[in-house]
Amino acid sequence: MLGLRRDKKDEEDGFSLNPFNNLEKTSVLQEARTFNETPINPRKCCHILTKVLYLINQGEHIATTEATETFFAMTKLFQSQDVTLRRMVYLTIKEMADIAEDVIIVTSSLTKDMTGKEDMYRAAAIRALCRITDSTMLQSIERYMKQAIVDRNPSVSSAALTSSLHLMRSSGDVVKRWVNEATEAASSDNIMVQYHAVGVLYHIKKTDRLGVSKLVSKFTKQSLRSPYAYCLLIRIATKLLEEESEGRDSPLFDFIETCLRHKSELVIYEAAHAIVNMPNTSARELAPAISVLQLFCSSPKPTLRFAAVRTLNKVAMKHPAAVAACNLDLENLITDVNRSIATLAITTLLKTGSESSVDRLMKQISTFMSEISDEFKIVVVQAIRSLCLKFPRKHGVLMSFLASMLRDENSSNSSQGGFDYKRAIVDSLIGIIEENPEAKEAGLAHLCEFIEDCEHTVLATRILHLLGREGPRTPSPSKYIRFIYNRVILENAAVRAAAVSALAKFGAHCEELMPSVVVLLSRSLLDTDDEVRDRATFYLNVLKQSNKALNSAYILNGLNVSVVGLERALHSYTQEPSETQFDMKSVPLATQPLAEQKAGARIFGAEGLHGAEVTPAAKAPDKVAATRQDIYAEQLAAIPEFQGLGPLFKSSAAVQLTESETEYVVRCIKHTFTNHIVFQFDCTNTLNDQILENVTVQMEPTEGFEVLSYVPAASLPYGQPGITYTCVTLPEDDPTSVIGTFSNTLKFLVKDCDPNTGEPDEEGYEDEYVLEDVEVTIADHIQKVLKPNFAASWDEVGEDYQMEDTYALSTVKTLEDAVKNIVDHMGMQPCERSDKVPADKSAHTLFLAGVYRGGHDVLVRARLAVDDGVTMQITVRSTDETAAEVISASVG
Amino acid sequence: MGFFDTLARWLGMKKKEVNVICVGLDNSGKTTIINQLKPQNAQQSDIVPTIGFTVEKFASASLSFTVFDMSGQGRYRNLWEHYYKDAQAIIFVIDSSDKLRMVVAKDELEQLLNNQDILSKRIPILFYANKMDMKESLSAVKVSQMMGLETIKDKPWHICASNAITGEGLPEGVEWVTDQIRSMKK
Ligand SMILES: Nc1nc2c(ncn2[C@@H]2O[C@H](COP(=O)(O)OP(=O)(O)OP(=O)(O)O)[C@@H](O)[C@H]2O)c(=O)[nH]1
Ligand SMILES: [Mg+2]
Repeated sequence: MLGLRRDKKDEEDGFSLNPFNNLEKTSVLQEARTFNETPINPRKCCHILTKVLYLINQGEHIATTEATETFFAMTKLFQSQDVTLRRMVYLTIKEMADIAEDVIIVTSSLTKDMTGKEDMYRAAAIRALCRITDSTMLQSIERYMKQAIVDRNPSVSSAALTSSLHLMRSSGDVVKRWVNEATEAASSDNIMVQYHAVGVLYHIKKTDRLGVSKLVSKFTKQSLRSPYAYCLLIRIATKLLEEESEGRDSPLFDFIETCLRHKSELVIYEAAHAIVNMPNTSARELAPAISVLQLFCSSPKPTLRFAAVRTLNKVAMKHPAAVAACNLDLENLITDVNRSIATLAITTLLKTGSESSVDRLMKQISTFMSEISDEFKIVVVQAIRSLCLKFPRKHGVLMSFLASMLRDENSSNSSQGGFDYKRAIVDSLIGIIEENPEAKEAGLAHLCEFIEDCEHTVLATRILHLLGREGPRTPSPSKYIRFIYNRVILENAAVRAAAVSALAKFGAHCEELMPSVVVLLSRSLLDTDDEVRDRATFYLNVLKQSNKALNSAYILNGLNVSVVGLERALHSYTQEPSETQFDMKSVPLATQPLAEQKAGARIFGAEGLHGAEVTPAAKAPDKVAATRQDIYAEQLAAIPEFQGLGPLFKSSAAVQLTESETEYVVRCIKHTFTNHIVFQFDCTNTLNDQILENVTVQMEPTEGFEVLSYVPAASLPYGQPGITYTCVTLPEDDPTSVIGTFSNTLKFLVKDCDPNTGEPDEEGYEDEYVLEDVEVTIADHIQKVLKPNFAASWDEVGEDYQMEDTYALSTVKTLEDAVKNIVDHMGMQPCERSDKVPADKSAHTLFLAGVYRGGHDVLVRARLAVDDGVTMQITVRSTDETAAEVISASVG
Repeated sequence: MGFFDTLARWLGMKKKEVNVICVGLDNSGKTTIINQLKPQNAQQSDIVPTIGFTVEKFASASLSFTVFDMSGQGRYRNLWEHYYKDAQAIIFVIDSSDKLRMVVAKDELEQLLNNQDILSKRIPILFYANKMDMKESLSAVKVSQMMGLETIKDKPWHICASNAITGEGLPEGVEWVTDQIRSMKK
């Protein structure tokens, strides 16, 4: 951002500080032909290489042929002995490794430099060499790498070690063979070499838990010189503790604790950071770590103060009491000249402080809000949000503070920046409204004010959506209409469309507002934008029917289908014209996107210790991504045996059917179709001397269910997961018997094989392996669906198929437990945030919504009351009789 | 760099630099030959198959050579041509004990001679019939026949038998190249 701005300014001023600003790719590549000329002019060639590097780093695309030509010309520079030029050549090799062809041409030249006498070349040559080497070529340089790892020159050794880390990704097996050399390097006197060596050793053993713990215990005994290596060990030890959920009496914890007394501040901080972030630490274990951080708070070094206060801030909500012990020190930091430290101190105090201190701290922080960067303003916003949760009664002060922050931001500067900051505020206001019903009206009022002057379309549409959902159910809905209608007059198309939808909701929910909403909507019938016009037309026509069920289905609650699935279904419908109408029930329902968690990547990846583990998939998909279920649907549709099963209704979470450390690891995912269930078994063979063939899972079902077909996994080599399916027909004669237990046996043909080559024997023998049972529960037949306006849906479904019953739940003692049990059992979606039980209430109503297999809406209302156990009155409504029966039967 | 090199520099008589490319099938002894030609203190003790190429320097009485020692393995042979353009002489090494692959060597030579960058130049080509010490090795004359060298009309060429391990036969070749280049300059 900064860079761009400066460039712009320079252009305006008519001069440029950057001599490479106006480089042109074609002319630079033309110049690169100079490399072919003899004798070589090192200065000139260096300059040209700089230009090439600059272009590549600016993201300029160089086509393969052009790049290869330049690369080969550059290789001729190896005849020059100029040290600077040679090092530029190394850089260029690395940058061009992926864009030019045949880059291995420089392999021998680099090996020569890496083993040669010129020390200036050696480390850099190693790095370049490893960059261009793939696993097939690695064999030929392996010998040199081993020598380089134990080289006496620390820069050579470090280069070899860090390059090994990079090679780990593509050629882990080869790098594993360097373990002896790495071990030798780990006892080096040089702190960097030692650090890198420990890193390599860890990565070599990473997948072998026992190996890692041996490694840690070895190095914790033999004291290391390098503080960096210590920090790494602390991280490894923490990860081990976390994975093995060992008690605090583990030697690993002792090690981390002794690091609190290390002479290097780096190590001390790392240890304290590790301890305070561990789950379930007792006050006694925390105390020494906290007191270290406390000490750092009054250090003369700003970095230490910053690190300490930042860490305290992060864990303040988890360990309020422990952090509160540092309150005095934090108070001192409020006036720190470094505003980042001051902000963190105040927000930490806010999190841990008492209700009475809130006003004072808020006043204090408002004195310098204008001086701190957006990043820290966001920290403040988040602190306020958590305060609201802690002290719901303070929501008035806190929300008006947030609102004033929004207002100041809007009026102070008109810059494009500040979006993240504003979004944080809006998110917080919305969060507070959702958590605390008492804050709703005030919060909505603040947001209404904000959208009057909001340049961010995403924020405006979000707020309008919220107004449409919450506004109609407030005591005086009419006051929001003006704010919303202003958007229809003043804004861009996206915001106008959102405003039209919000208006329609008021009309649908509040009868008395209907006539005026109809008038307002009809003004949008001539809007210049298609989307706005279409929405207005659609809503108007629905509203004019004055039919509650229609209002609920098409305005208040909307569709619950998967967008990707809908697109696919419509597409195939248009491909094959037919007389029958398009059936909405054939479209798969929307499910939550698969949130992949990469916990392991955090330690060594995100924190930037070693690049080797950075996951490129870390970006969260914001768009309409294919969900987990969309992906399954596609996979299953590709299997001929499952062609006639109809649309996939639901895919369950995976259940493990084996212990994790067994010979064969199997997990099961249940895919429910209209009349069938397909069991998907993900199998992994963990024996490296066996190949399994023709693998199936034989299922013994409960009465009524029948196995229809097996789809075997053709072959299961060691370590490569494979899939086999078993398809089961649901009981036909009794549609209400839908749950059951299945016992499973893995059957296969074993062929012994050579663990090194994977070459199997000709002959095999049949074998089997007993797996754990799989349960089919009521939840497998219901898909969660959120009804934003439950009451409207309740009326829409009506009483035609209603079941009601009352139960005494003797085993649960609290409303929270009752709610949690019911939600888990039914597998339905809690609506209206009714899964949150307000504190000190003795009665509560839970609303659940779902769709039953076959596409029938199901709603459940459970009225709960505590007195010595919980009593529950449960009412089930559905558009289908069987569905209502099955659901209510599943309760009793 | 030897004593003469420094003395010559000191006297202000810088040797003329020439670029040479050394090609031939894998295992024919290219790297061993060049290593042998280098000054004693710059020689390598163990020689491994070349991957890609390396640049080496050595000197004759009046010239300073920069040699591109190419890899002879099949998958790298098509990379030779990138280095033809600025070569002032070619050293083509043949393993005279490898009768079986003599046709392959011949084929590579033909491709080289037909290359655009070579076709137009009157560039001297030195052939080493290497590994003359091996029992089954062919004589230089026999090698020259099998390689069809007599058909090369438009370029000066010369073949000598050599033993790269002892260095026997190498100086003769280098002298010939030196003469050729000096005579061309005149
Ligand atoms: N007996 C004998 N062995 C030789 C002679 N010249 C080379 N060798 C051996 O032949 C083998 C190959 O030699 P290199 O110099 O690596 O061959 P190259 O032509 O450079 O091979 P590439 O780099 O793969 O193209 C080595 O083991 C040498 O010791 C020779 O004159 N006599
Ligand atoms: Mg060689």
